[in-house]
Amino acid sequence: MGNIQYPWKHTLDTLRTWARVNSPWVLHFNSGSCNGCDIEILATITPRYDLERFGIKLQGSPRHADVLLCTGPVTRQARERLVRIYEIMHEPKFVVAIGSCALSGGAFRGCYNVMGGIDKVIPVDAYIPGCPPRPEAIINGVVALLGSLQTPPAGQSLELDDRSNRLPEVPA
Amino acid sequence: MNVEELIQRARTITEEWLWKTTTELTTPDHLSVWLSTAKDLIPIVAMLRVQRMGYLAAITGLDLGTEADEMEALYHFCTGPVTVTLRVKLPRQDPSLPSLSQIIPSAEPLERELQEMYGIRINGLRNPARLYLSDDWPQGVYPMRKDFQPGEEPVGMEVN
Repeated sequence: MGNIQYPWKHTLDTLRTWARVNSPWVLHFNSGSCNGCDIEILATITPRYDLERFGIKLQGSPRHADVLLCTGPVTRQARERLVRIYEIMHEPKFVVAIGSCALSGGAFRGCYNVMGGIDKVIPVDAYIPGCPPRPEAIINGVVALLGSLQTPPAGQSLELDDRSNRLPEVPA
Repeated sequence: MNVEELIQRARTITEEWLWKTTTELTTPDHLSVWLSTAKDLIPIVAMLRVQRMGYLAAITGLDLGTEADEMEALYHFCTGPVTVTLRVKLPRQDPSLPSLSQIIPSAEPLERELQEMYGIRINGLRNPARLYLSDDWPQGVYPMRKDFQPGEEPVGMEVN
């Protein structure tokens, strides 16, 4: 029906998804982490692991980012900033929670200044466990997220056809 | 000076120059000094400063619980290998202490932390505002007190 109202929509959506899946720009936000996961994210971007071969680029501004990489539990003070950054990012946006603390609060769960995991505050699309997760685990999580973009869940208008690029295999 | 001489000197300053303080050697290089009232704090800290007995390393709070109905503030002064701790007992209801910031300006952040975490009012602070707790922290809730119970939901945000 979209094709009838707007004949270019399908083509444009395909193009957009192709571009998004092949070159997602990620924003990294630390909302109270001990910096262990942050260092692993930085290690992931180094040439040794080379996240850029998937077109992934670390982006400074939430206005230009597609994926939000969150580390650490959400502290009370960081909650408002995290929500603001999430709201600044434009649709469609995806959130990846990295590390035990981002998943559940981890060692800081129940602390007086901690809200809990990232999903207490903003919706999360992919969870990467580990304390800290290895760079391979982070790559696997992000690539799994990108793979899920090609078969979008209900409610998200990501139109795709069979011609869309398949993701490269994750190295073991 | 070696450890024994330093301890002896600290004992002389705190026991003989000020009335009603009791000292105890908790470990060979750590001297605990119990002050009788909070009013003794400023003179004894001034005396430690004049005698060059160490620097203020930390201020610790201690909540002895609702049954004991007492709190303690501990001021740790370090000189080389020796630590001298001034301990002041305070009532749990409306505890207050004088600020050391006139003598030791760098004590102010430590005192502000003690104030927000334990609810011990510090008189004479230049800026008594909160330092570490988040902006939306409810008034009158002190997270380091014994009767503070962290729940599943954050304080002041419980879903009822």
